[in-house]
Amino acid sequence: MTDARPEPADRTPTSNPVLRRALAWGAALAAVVLVVSAVLGLVFAGTEGLVSALIGTLMAVVFMGITAASILLANRYASSDVFVGVFFAIVLGGWLLKFIVFIVLVVVLRDAPWLNPVVLFLSLVAGVIASLVVDVLVVAKSRMPYASDVELPKAPTDD
Amino acid sequence: MDATTVLAEINGNIATVGYGLAAIGPAIGVGIVVGKTIEGVARQPELAGRLQVLMWIGIAFTEALAFIGIATYFIFV
Repeated sequence: MTDARPEPADRTPTSNPVLRRALAWGAALAAVVLVVSAVLGLVFAGTEGLVSALIGTLMAVVFMGITAASILLANRYASSDVFVGVFFAIVLGGWLLKFIVFIVLVVVLRDAPWLNPVVLFLSLVAGVIASLVVDVLVVAKSRMPYASDVELPKAPTDD
Repeated sequence: MDATTVLAEINGNIATVGYGLAAIGPAIGVGIVVGKTIEGVARQPELAGRLQVLMWIGIAFTEALAFIGIATYFIFV
């Protein structure tokens, strides 16, 4: 009897394609939201509105996308012995870092004279909601097998 | 000034309390989502990929509230 254990194959979790698709579609919809909010900002608040809308949408999309990106980054260590620890360290550490940066940005940008806070807030909310819509659509349309990361033993060869 | 007035006195902007709440709520939410994912992966490691996607969508919805809550700093005076 030969060694029946499977070879240490590629252990990358099957969530990677879904997350990649979500990032790609998120970027595509972000471009649309960016244009729409920029036009609305320009119409209602002039150049300040335009800049605010751009910054607000970019902030929303980038910060919402960091979660998927951090999971993708963490999945690179899938074959590591301490994968679970590394995974949650990267994902939750990224989350914490993201919020610290977000709060600092909000505090810094609030009193900037070249910004319109209301336009910035509204475009940020629009970006967040658009990103959520993309996430839900991508997950709803994703096809993932129930036993996604199982490794079947190879059939014995007749020698 | 009587004791009640002294104890009830608050200085500064009351909206600050809201930012604290906007941090606590999603923190609890993400904690539950991630904790349950760890539990699920420990029970069935072969489901890790599916659970990661569910965890990600759970985190996305929870953190959306945090973003909107903290971003209200832009509109509250």
